[in-house]
Amino acid sequence: MTGADIAAVYPEIIVTAVALIVLVADAVVDRRRAALALPLLTIAGLVVALASVFNVVPAAQYFRGFVTIDAFTSFFRAVFILLAIFAAAISPAYLARRRVPAGEYYAIICFSTVGAMTIALSSDLITLFIGLETMTIPIYVLAGIQRTDRFANEAAIKYFLLGAFSSALLLYGFVWLYGITKATDFVTIASVLTAQGIANGPTIVALALVTVGLGFKAAIVPFHQWTPDAYDGAPTPATAFMSVGPKAAAFAAILRVLLGALGPLGVDWSAVLAVLAALTMTGGNIVALAQTNTKRMLAYSSIAHTGYILAAVAAAKAGPSAGAAVLFYVFAYGLMNLGAFACLLYFDLEGTRGASLDELNGFGRRQPLGALAFAIFLVSLTGIPPTIGFVAKFVVIQPVLDAGLAWLAVVIALNAVLAAFYYLRVVVRMYMYDPAEKVPRLVSGRTLSLSLGIASFAVIVLGILPNSIYQWALDAAQPLVH
Amino acid sequence: MTNVLSLLVVIPLAGLIPLFLFRRDERAAKQVAITTTFVELVVSLWMVKQFVIGEPGFQLVEKLEWLPSLGISYLVGVDGISVLLVPMTTLLTFIAVLYSSGGAIKTRIVEYMTAFLLLEIGMVGVFIALDLFLFYIFFELMLVPMYLIIGIWGGPRRIYATLKFVIFTLAGSLLMLVGIVAVYLQSADASGSRTLSLPDLIELRGRFPADFQFWVFLAFALAFAIKMPMVPFHTWLPDAHVEAPTAGSIVLAGVLLKAGGYGFLRFGLPLFPIGVQAWLPVLIVLSVIAILYGAIVSAVQKDLKKLVAYSSVAHMGFVTLGIFVLNLQGGVGAVLQMLNHGFVTGALFLFVGIQYEKTHRRMIADLGGLANMWPLFTTFFGVFVLASLGLPGLNGFIGEFLVLLGTFKFGGVPLGGLFWGPLAAIGVILAAVYLLWMFQRVMYGPVREAYRALPDLSRLEIACALPLLLLTVILGVVPQPFIAYIEPSVDRLIRLATDPSFVVVAFK
Repeated sequence: MTGADIAAVYPEIIVTAVALIVLVADAVVDRRRAALALPLLTIAGLVVALASVFNVVPAAQYFRGFVTIDAFTSFFRAVFILLAIFAAAISPAYLARRRVPAGEYYAIICFSTVGAMTIALSSDLITLFIGLETMTIPIYVLAGIQRTDRFANEAAIKYFLLGAFSSALLLYGFVWLYGITKATDFVTIASVLTAQGIANGPTIVALALVTVGLGFKAAIVPFHQWTPDAYDGAPTPATAFMSVGPKAAAFAAILRVLLGALGPLGVDWSAVLAVLAALTMTGGNIVALAQTNTKRMLAYSSIAHTGYILAAVAAAKAGPSAGAAVLFYVFAYGLMNLGAFACLLYFDLEGTRGASLDELNGFGRRQPLGALAFAIFLVSLTGIPPTIGFVAKFVVIQPVLDAGLAWLAVVIALNAVLAAFYYLRVVVRMYMYDPAEKVPRLVSGRTLSLSLGIASFAVIVLGILPNSIYQWALDAAQPLVH
Repeated sequence: MTNVLSLLVVIPLAGLIPLFLFRRDERAAKQVAITTTFVELVVSLWMVKQFVIGEPGFQLVEKLEWLPSLGISYLVGVDGISVLLVPMTTLLTFIAVLYSSGGAIKTRIVEYMTAFLLLEIGMVGVFIALDLFLFYIFFELMLVPMYLIIGIWGGPRRIYATLKFVIFTLAGSLLMLVGIVAVYLQSADASGSRTLSLPDLIELRGRFPADFQFWVFLAFALAFAIKMPMVPFHTWLPDAHVEAPTAGSIVLAGVLLKAGGYGFLRFGLPLFPIGVQAWLPVLIVLSVIAILYGAIVSAVQKDLKKLVAYSSVAHMGFVTLGIFVLNLQGGVGAVLQMLNHGFVTGALFLFVGIQYEKTHRRMIADLGGLANMWPLFTTFFGVFVLASLGLPGLNGFIGEFLVLLGTFKFGGVPLGGLFWGPLAAIGVILAAVYLLWMFQRVMYGPVREAYRALPDLSRLEIACALPLLLLTVILGVVPQPFIAYIEPSVDRLIRLATDPSFVVVAFK
């Protein structure tokens, strides 16, 4: 281990330090001040970490080949840290109201972010697996952090059991890969597989196990069953983070493993991924249509968005535009989905429950700016311009068509129509219905409103001027191209 | 000044700022909206003045780098077709806003005016965008404000109507998005650089093979056919129109439907000549069905607003028929018909709205004898009804006549112009039947006691209707100046559509 190795992982070190400092501060600062001091401390620390991401070390391998720093790493690091900042900013009011231990909460988000970042910089199956577990285990805790709520307990247990199960599957797949190639680093695996040529029995087993394992992590249909309950039962700010951070990390892993290490087999595999993508988006959307609770609806809709991202993965043979589409969509999805979940924080409801459609009636008049932000996120999730969600759809359809998957592009378009139906139904409730007689109390928070304001503004501005983000995603996708 | 087109996009956007600042003052909001749309109207007329008649290509072109990493640019310009559709849009928006501020809209004025200004950006943008990506953004930008206008300020079944409107429109436009991406990928040259700029695409359309054109034209055609709407995609239209507030109906019928016809002309014909030929029989048959079906269904409507809505289906049938007979008369007629329909049907919806505001009745059976009480109303309404049924001397006649002329000359499959021409002509006769019968039932007969004290047109209502009346007469009596704008551009489009190897340098 040299000084260069340490410098390569400064961002991870800083985020870890932030988590530890927050834990110490939680013990030191008195309770009343902690409600504001801890999130501010977390955000300030994460901003420093974000700055350190751009203090780029030369793109190369570090730690004797266990770590790769390249444009791809930087992109995902920045995305993870941004999502963590956003998640920290929306939470304080909720945590104070529900007496959730704030120190643990922010520390958990930071630890999980370190894990996600480790996935992004991995160039070895072992690093990747460590990152994946470091990311996921804190999330199990996060899901159940409202200890007295039985739905939160159910969410945590379900998430934990299925998460452990999928980790085992994934690990088993990695073992098969090691058995076939006698290596754990992506470069060697890729070259051995290339030398072997066409997929045979053992490689197919390995590939299937890895796909299923990662499919669980990303919530790809039919490996998605844990998602609705876990998302629905977890505390709402935690759900907002869970729905984007781990999902982005899962796609970082999918890109690193399926495209990076198993790239030589990718062409044979793309048809399977395309079918999975179609199933995922259609399944998620159809079930979301039937939901009357917005939190559950958003949970299913996040499955649908997984399908759109997976479609771009399936189009890998279109070249860098496919990787760029995944990255761009992950970024856009993180912004708008976290924002949409966070808008539910305005409703003061018992337990971890989200607002039902009836409870949204008249929200547009009761909380005009919050409703406007919610509407912008929903329009963006639908994919209507001028929002970043539209650009994301555009850049996904492009490689999908380029890879000759015209049917999948049509499926994406039709799914967006399905999705419009339930997203716009929420807008209908907010703006076109009068408040019912008994409506839930609305609560607000300064950091919540501010962060939602910034995020919804960004959704529009980056929807009109997406060039810099897309160019960044395009550069970040270059390392994936063989 | 060459930035006049961008100015047209910026003015409504700038109007949102004072609207936001005065968001607690409804009076100020109305004044801001009226001023903004009026300035927009004046600037659009100034744009017409700068346009050079006789040049078929795009003028007042502006180009800015926008998404260099995707090869997409901000590219706007107008030709002889859009140069007239833009002022039509700004005029109808101004009238819609003016009428709404007179008391027709009672709740949430500020939000309403915001929606209208956003809508205006989308509507003007659709007619000036020359990059497919930009066009798509404006095309969709029209959707959300209209969704809110119908859904918040509409009638009792407004939520069903507005969701139906959005879902239908989105289904079409998202498929068009797939088509746009397909065009984008197909535009790649040897070096891999791609474009969505219309002038460039027209030059390199030779790269679009036949089966590609077949499918991609279908994707575009679905979006435009739903927007127009063509039969059988028209079922959203009566619901949306009936539930929309009056001003919403005016711009929905006057402008939004034109986006479909305009899309066919601007993108369908020049980019996919082989695709057009392949789908031509279907489109002709559907157009004639729309003309006859729209007329017959109008005749049996009990609801006045629904009658006008269905008559739009018939009138739009003339537009598509004129476009797809692919000759000069048909094309010019189609564009004129779009303008005429904008002014006349916009006015008809205005008068149905005025009438409803006074009587609170829309069922034809509940009305009657209005002519005795409202001489002014009767005169205006009568002229628009006569224009709508195509009376010579008023504008409706010129458009339909040219379309019919073009149809008779049409030599394509199936069956040829001598079959379709007379059939479409029957539609003109039917229009006279249902419109005059409606007029008779609504305006004549015994005066109802309940309506006896109701006032005739107010000054505001006259101010809204007068420009439309003047245009109806002027376009009817001297159409030649307008045709002079349209003809060169349509001529070029027809050549592009009928000869796949015809190449032009699109703008100088």
